[in-house]
Amino acid sequence: MNYPFWDVPIIGSGWVIGIISIIHVLISQFAVGGGLYLVLAERKALRENRLDWLARLKDHSRFFLIMTNVFGATSGVGIWFAIGLAHPESTSTLIHNFVFGWAMEWVFFIVELSSAAVYYYSWNKISHEMHQRVGWLYAISSFCTLVIINGILTFMLTPGDAWIAVAGTGQEASQFWSAFFNPTYFPSLFLRILVCISLAGIWALVSYSRLDYDAQAKGELITWSSKWLIPSFVATPIAFLWYLASVPEVNRALLQLGISTIGSGAFTQVTRIALVMVMTSATIVGVVYFFVRKAPQDFAFGHGLAVLFLAAVVTASGEYAREMLRKPYVIARHMYSNGIRQSEVAQMSEKGYLEKSLWVRPVTDKTNEPELILSKGEAMYRGQCLNCHTTTGYRAMTKLLSGRDHQSIGNLLQTLHDYKDDSPYKKYMPQLVGKSDEIAALNDYLDYVVNKDKSRIAGLMRARESKSVAQAQ
Amino acid sequence: MMKALYRWVDERLSLSELAKFAAKKTVPVHRHSFWYFWGGISLFFFLVQCVTGVLLLVYYRPGPEAYESVRQITNEIHFGWLIRSAHSWSANLMVVAVFVHMFSVYFMKAYRAPREFGWWSGMLLLIITLLFGFSGYLLPMDELAYFATKVGLSIPEALPVIGQPMTNLFRGGLEVSELTVQRFFALHVVVMPAIFLPILVFHLWLVQKHGNATLPSEEAKPESERKSIPFFPNFLMQDLAMWLIALNVLALCASIYPWGIGEEADPLKPAPDGIHPEWYFMSAFQTLKLIGKLFSGELAAFGEGLGITLFTLGLLLWTLIPLYDGKHENGRRARNATYFGLLALGIIVVTTIWGYMSL
Repeated sequence: MNYPFWDVPIIGSGWVIGIISIIHVLISQFAVGGGLYLVLAERKALRENRLDWLARLKDHSRFFLIMTNVFGATSGVGIWFAIGLAHPESTSTLIHNFVFGWAMEWVFFIVELSSAAVYYYSWNKISHEMHQRVGWLYAISSFCTLVIINGILTFMLTPGDAWIAVAGTGQEASQFWSAFFNPTYFPSLFLRILVCISLAGIWALVSYSRLDYDAQAKGELITWSSKWLIPSFVATPIAFLWYLASVPEVNRALLQLGISTIGSGAFTQVTRIALVMVMTSATIVGVVYFFVRKAPQDFAFGHGLAVLFLAAVVTASGEYAREMLRKPYVIARHMYSNGIRQSEVAQMSEKGYLEKSLWVRPVTDKTNEPELILSKGEAMYRGQCLNCHTTTGYRAMTKLLSGRDHQSIGNLLQTLHDYKDDSPYKKYMPQLVGKSDEIAALNDYLDYVVNKDKSRIAGLMRARESKSVAQAQ
Repeated sequence: MMKALYRWVDERLSLSELAKFAAKKTVPVHRHSFWYFWGGISLFFFLVQCVTGVLLLVYYRPGPEAYESVRQITNEIHFGWLIRSAHSWSANLMVVAVFVHMFSVYFMKAYRAPREFGWWSGMLLLIITLLFGFSGYLLPMDELAYFATKVGLSIPEALPVIGQPMTNLFRGGLEVSELTVQRFFALHVVVMPAIFLPILVFHLWLVQKHGNATLPSEEAKPESERKSIPFFPNFLMQDLAMWLIALNVLALCASIYPWGIGEEADPLKPAPDGIHPEWYFMSAFQTLKLIGKLFSGELAAFGEGLGITLFTLGLLLWTLIPLYDGKHENGRRARNATYFGLLALGIIVVTTIWGYMSL
């Protein structure tokens, strides 16, 4: 491994990415849908000569500018920092494979940021036609950022056969377009466009809920904004089914796993999270119908925040489910979630995992000192487990291995190392790689973490201590 | 078409009269109106339990196969885990809602005349709700349920004279066994609903009859300064929104933290460490433990009996509060009742936290 390992206690590095991403997605998809919202609302106001609407839209565009250009942009940079630390290998692969894509993304991003600022600061300073053109420039450039990032995100779940055929050969960039327009590209793009449009409406509801000083405009704008949720309500189930149909059967199986069970060892979160998505989406429909459509002028700031919170739950659930569907890979069929490439597995099991780990202290195999065994085991744990597990917090080893003794942990590790087709863990866990002494050291380390004084290593330490006491006497 | 259908039904059931009544009925609006929703939320969770309970009945088998049937529901039957989790979570959330409802009624002094029977029927509903929880907890017959029930039944067993025979009757013998599951099952799905439902109907009828009580500070205001909204559709819409939120909370809890099942109960095995009753009995459990510690040796049984007697007396005082503070005057009695309420709330919170910390 070429990079050091990032140990985030309690929540794990995955949740650092997750928390930043949820905030970012909520704002960045608003940035895409909100651009279209602003120009269409402005056009409607001009056509109907509603000057009061224009004043309110100017206020909304200030809110939009602050949310997207400040919070959206900084959380986006935050994601780069977080994925760079948590998943350096996969981040490196994405950068190398999509250099041209990232270049395009950042060009559109700069246009997007600039035009958003120009759009707000030029209200009433340039002609309406010119102002609308700036608005359209923003809407198109922000849409293009979605078009590009969608290709890279979907690539991670379904890289496509053509790219997989050249993966690891140094010729990956030759399959740029097939990797980009991968099997889930279009359903995912369609789904994200629907979400962007909905979020434009939801954020507008939040923004206008405080317009109590202009009750008429509030009622009209809230009613009009609520219509932005209709496409999503109508088309999302279809888009979701289309998306699922494009996902490989093996990933879809994860979704079905939780229908019948939450049995120990089964990976059923995807199903449960999908249920949360359905439930919260249905609630948004209910709230918008009962509160927004029926009594728009009574729609309070608290209602707006409640709808936004529900949207955040749906977004978080959706992103979480998408990440889970990818298990055991971070880039499907190419790189496991712990950064090990599928092509490296055989070699690492033969020559050793720690041999290639530049950031592990050299550990000699010629000694049986308990501390050195633990050190080697910990290095294995950090390299192969830490991406998805923590010691005592999220997906805690102490909880998952609770009740297992040294022998039982060893059996589990052997199952993960053998990685037979009928292994239940194969659906969501990477293959454990390493030579037998490395796996034995991991076994000792996990036994020590879980069983403390009752572990084999603690026994060795006590025996050594007794021996040294006896020698001293 | 719909109008014609409505007219047809209306002619036979007089729905429009009901709508007129609902439109005439008003709900007070003030800065504590939020607490009015908790009775409705409790009712909502009860309805969820009825529906999920009936679904669980389809697969649950009381007696020797109790554990195996719950294991199948949790690990084999499609969405069985969801129904079971929704049932267990709604039971817990209902207890939370009922407690919040009871304390809000207490501190808003909504037990005063003419609402005494509302308060008493509410107290009965609370006690039956807790018994629903206790009897339902044993039904999976896993290790935790078995030992927690054993500990729970040792509390009434300490009652003088009637304790032992009464507990044996519920247990179906001297030990918790399959017979206990049979009896608890009968209590849980037949006896208690049969008692609960008529009291619930009576309670709801009283709420309709007397309307929502206002705060004493609101009552002091002249009629023209008091605000209110129509029950239908305004308050009903808000109530439905709260139900929607409650449903979301339930869905989140059931999906993210589904109710698992432990190992099958084995009476021959020693009780696992830190066994304790459900959270809503923790206060009583800890209080009895503390009083019991004051007495040891031969006096231990006396200590337990004293603890239960004190607890029963406290509950009795709490129930009879409308007789003490029944007039609409904010004098010494009203203040004392409020202090008593704060003391009870404080004891429940502190002993519950203490109980968990001393596990």
